[in-house]
Amino acid sequence: MNHDESTEDQTGSCDAARDHPFCETTEEGVVSIIPRCPPEKFPELVLDKGIGNFSHYRSIIQKLDVFQKIARAEGGRVAVALLNDYVMIGYSACWYPPKGERWSKLGNLMYEMGAIEVSRKYRHLKIARKLVNALMDDDFFEDKIAYMNGFSWHWDLDGAGLTMSRYRKMIMGLLRPHGFKEVYTNEPNIALREENFFMARIGSRVSGEDRARFRNLRFGLVNR
Amino acid sequence: MFEDYPRETVLKDGSFVLLRPAVPDDEKGLSELFARIPDDESWFLRDDLADPEIMRQWIKDLNYDRVIPMVAVRQDDDRIIANVRLHRRSARCMRHVAHLRITVDPEFRQQRLGTWMLVDAIKLAMEIGIEKLVAEFVEGVEEAAISAAHKLDFFEQAVIKEYVMGPQGDYKNLIIMVKNIHRDWSDF
Repeated sequence: MNHDESTEDQTGSCDAARDHPFCETTEEGVVSIIPRCPPEKFPELVLDKGIGNFSHYRSIIQKLDVFQKIARAEGGRVAVALLNDYVMIGYSACWYPPKGERWSKLGNLMYEMGAIEVSRKYRHLKIARKLVNALMDDDFFEDKIAYMNGFSWHWDLDGAGLTMSRYRKMIMGLLRPHGFKEVYTNEPNIALREENFFMARIGSRVSGEDRARFRNLRFGLVNR
Repeated sequence: MFEDYPRETVLKDGSFVLLRPAVPDDEKGLSELFARIPDDESWFLRDDLADPEIMRQWIKDLNYDRVIPMVAVRQDDDRIIANVRLHRRSARCMRHVAHLRITVDPEFRQQRLGTWMLVDAIKLAMEIGIEKLVAEFVEGVEEAAISAAHKLDFFEQAVIKEYVMGPQGDYKNLIIMVKNIHRDWSDF
């Protein structure tokens, strides 16, 4: 797994080993990343005001108990970036596909990189990359087809000061170092807008048969 | 630019196709594709790629900075069944514009292949910073492509009346269609 940036940037004393928080001193304070935040930790945290609110989209994840619920669910993971050990300034949340979504037809083979967000004020610290790096550094993913839906209506273009094309490229650039590729699908929400994308990473232990099922499902061919 | 290729897609009949950039080794496959285009259509090609000599030169001179040629390859037999080309100008004032040309094997029309090729071209255009995609179609000859382009939000920017000459010496309208790759959301 690619850990170049996260390991190079470390200046704090935390251990960067898997499942242990690591931290770095920045101009904003000490930022630590917890790759898999335990559910019981969320009540101790405070959500930064720059999370979950921007011009044309209001995230459903705006309360700490929602994170707690995700972290408690089977397979749920929340990586968090904390400022001074208690203010959540970024997160990445993953889960198995919700029932009713196309991808749930392959059960727990599929694993959604559901959400990633960094508070506006801290975006220059490259926290998103560190969150993804921390999250992906896990053998768990070798048995999974991890995927991300890129829906442009979730993108904070105003806050990022980027065009749609550039924002799209930036998000894709977070995942590509971990083996994600954009693949085509006729899933209606993806097809709704051309800038939307669907990226997937097929784990090294996923069988040929499951790869074929995934390929068929991408185009709605469920019985092949 | 090509890091996620080849990309798979599927035709209406359920068969799988790979989309990828064309390479010099595709000369024969591309020549065969253009040879399958009926004369009454190939007459209107801007580059006469049905001519093997022109194809040889064209593929020898491939330069992705100027032309990005994509091919659709049927997985069953590696046959090239469609080609889309994004032509770019080197002038700085035109670097945000690309002209699109598409050719689909007659046997694979009405199979959504052209639509996937157009979608792929749009995504590629986005990737390389294109803001305007331009496509020229001959009215009465390329109706299926015009319809597919409409569905992907190309709009008719202009019609040049009786601009293109047909094989019988008759004149046909040239429809110039444009698709804007939007930079952001409207503030409305």
